[in-house]
Amino acid sequence: MSLPATATLVVILVTLPLAAATLLFASGRQPRTLTLAAALLLTFAALALGGNVYLEGVSVHAIGGWAAPLGIHWQVTPAGTVMLVATALVGLAGAVYGAGYFLHRPGPDGRMARVFMPLWLFAWGGLNALFVAADLFNLYVALEVLTLASVALVALSARRMALQAAMRYLLAGLFGSVIYLLGVALLYGQYGVLDFATLTAMLDPEDPGSRAGAVALTVGLLIKAAIFPLHFWLPGAHGRAEPPVSAMLSGLVVAAAFYLLLRLWFGPLAEMLSFGVGVLFGALGAGALFWGGMLALLQRRLKMLVAYSTVSQFGFAMLVFPLAGGDHRGTVFVGGTLLLANHALAKAALFLAAGTLVRASGSDRIGTLVGFAGRAHWAWLAVILASAALIGMPPTLGFSAKWLLLQAAVADGAWVWLGVMLGGTLLTFAYLGRLLELALLDPAPGPSPPPPLTAALLLPALLLALLACLAGLWAMDVEAIARLESGT
Amino acid sequence: MPAVEMLFDALLLLCMVVLAWQGVHARNMFRAVVSFMMFGLLTAVAWVRLEAPDIALAEASLGAGLTGVLLLATLGRLAPERRRPRPRQAMTLTVLPWLALGLAGTWVLLAVTLALPAPGLGEAVFAAMPEAGVDSPVTAVLLNFRAWDTLLEIAVMLLAVIGLWSLGQDVLASPSTLPAPSLPALVRLLFPLFLLSTFYLLWRGGHGPGGAFPAGALLAAGLVLALLAGARVPRRMTGAPMRWALGAGLLTFLIVAVGVMGYGEAFFAYPPEHASLLIAVVEIAAGLSIGVMLTALFLGGEPTDSRSERR
Repeated sequence: MSLPATATLVVILVTLPLAAATLLFASGRQPRTLTLAAALLLTFAALALGGNVYLEGVSVHAIGGWAAPLGIHWQVTPAGTVMLVATALVGLAGAVYGAGYFLHRPGPDGRMARVFMPLWLFAWGGLNALFVAADLFNLYVALEVLTLASVALVALSARRMALQAAMRYLLAGLFGSVIYLLGVALLYGQYGVLDFATLTAMLDPEDPGSRAGAVALTVGLLIKAAIFPLHFWLPGAHGRAEPPVSAMLSGLVVAAAFYLLLRLWFGPLAEMLSFGVGVLFGALGAGALFWGGMLALLQRRLKMLVAYSTVSQFGFAMLVFPLAGGDHRGTVFVGGTLLLANHALAKAALFLAAGTLVRASGSDRIGTLVGFAGRAHWAWLAVILASAALIGMPPTLGFSAKWLLLQAAVADGAWVWLGVMLGGTLLTFAYLGRLLELALLDPAPGPSPPPPLTAALLLPALLLALLACLAGLWAMDVEAIARLESGT
Repeated sequence: MPAVEMLFDALLLLCMVVLAWQGVHARNMFRAVVSFMMFGLLTAVAWVRLEAPDIALAEASLGAGLTGVLLLATLGRLAPERRRPRPRQAMTLTVLPWLALGLAGTWVLLAVTLALPAPGLGEAVFAAMPEAGVDSPVTAVLLNFRAWDTLLEIAVMLLAVIGLWSLGQDVLASPSTLPAPSLPALVRLLFPLFLLSTFYLLWRGGHGPGGAFPAGALLAAGLVLALLAGARVPRRMTGAPMRWALGAGLLTFLIVAVGVMGYGEAFFAYPPEHASLLIAVVEIAAGLSIGVMLTALFLGGEPTDSRSERR
């Protein structure tokens, strides 16, 4: 049963971003204090919701008071709440960073500075709506909000390359949406319901129509989550966008599509997750891990390296599916969720710090990055901490997530996947280490009057990276893991 | 099914396939766009055959009408060399795997959809109709039972406009007008009718096919026609008034959805005695916003004046 406080917090989380974005757009003004107040309020709401869910567990809320299957339900789960909190932290950090970043780079007629915040809030609202949704069609609409806001954010940087990347992203994203919608239609035609709870009870894993529907849902989401070999749109879109935009796209938007994949295959479609399907997903993951890792190793530009690392890290996340077949489903699900949260915080920190370093160096070629000169060392500190979290060194959140998955792999004797995980971690170590080595052992002098680096450009990345490292201490608590598992 | 209807459906399908092929393969861009518009019209007819008049209305106005006008306007702004017929490309072997994939997908879909029991939520909708506040089941689903979906859809449309404006090219400077001498006079005659039909559809939405989306599309059609005939957006309407008109639908929707919580109801739970009024308010605001949104998409960029005002 739901307590009113949780319902109120969810309403704030999903409506405030949309209302604030529309008001900002319509008024045409950018009162910085008010936008930051909205971002802070959203962050507090997400943290308070986290507290509620920690104490009360899963809750279900009927929108408009209409019972399922007629109406739409929100389902507030521990895993979804972890993602909501990660969204809020990245959202707040990006809003602060964006306010500082676009102050010095407002674009033609101040357009970038003007449009960034409304689009950012729309994307934030779409993410929040997605993480509480438990209805196939409602998820489609939330995904649409997210996709359109993301494409517009990529196109903000009016450079030709960014526009091309945005167009490609739009086409890939819409194609993914249509395929997903086809899957929704097939399942709705079969069972006449859209909400997860009823669908889970009704789904017949042997039925060919349901299988076709599951395939369509999955392919659509694989495109949106940029899983190898459908990742072709990601490096351009994430690498060419403005830094705060890349942070949200790489940290959260891709993760949202993957989270949905996780929800589906550990929820309504769980009985279809046979050994063969698991191996197929695992093979895609291994491909992504190594292909993305190798290309990250070869990149010469800082942001492209970080973008390819996203391709590789989501390959790691795909390995939860072959491990889900064993006796440790709950552990694997929690491991997957924590992996997404860790990636959200660490990758956002990495992109924000990369943006600061590129501004400090005047170029994004890895060989020409400034070293520890001036205040840039704060950005380098964020890069080091975020790299530690992505690699999964203890005590980061990345370590906790990978540890849970390793435990499940060892307990099930899944030695192949264990080897893939270790290999992938080494590769992550290699490409992030190469970045640190090139830049820190042989730093370029940088432009002679160094551009000013304000606190808004340094602190958000550093705090996000620190959070990714410290959250691992909380996630090693057995009690916390058990509460997270209760939501599956 | 009588033989005549079978024949009609078969012809309809055949025409649609031919038009789709022409739309993709026409060597002339203009011909491709016209094929696409015809395809949209026939799709609307197909929806009528499937007894879905609401979708037919939306398809005819959006799929055939406005999308077609958007494509034609884009064509008018392309550089001449991009408009020229493309050289005919030889079919290469690389097409074969895609063709095979497409055929296999079609075959699977056909086999699967023919076996669908298609129960739907129709019965649940009809059972809940007495409490819905409106008589039309489609409106009840869109603005009451699944109003949260519709709210997010309107956010998507607003995002499309904001996204387009963020690209910044102010294309109003080179408006596309149709070289039809009688058009201005005709538009002057027709424009009040467009407005009247818009409000008719809004009013009708409560108990029959109609409602915010078709009404907004019709309003946009009238406005776009006026623009094609050479009308200009009045200076005092650009900038803030236009932006508020664009956002009004989403804001009204949000205020109603959250406002009912002040009466101790859940999010989006209209108090039964006020349900029809609240739905009508949302429908009117959304319809007007949708009309302005679609017109803004046709205009292309953010109208000029707004920028100097904001400085």
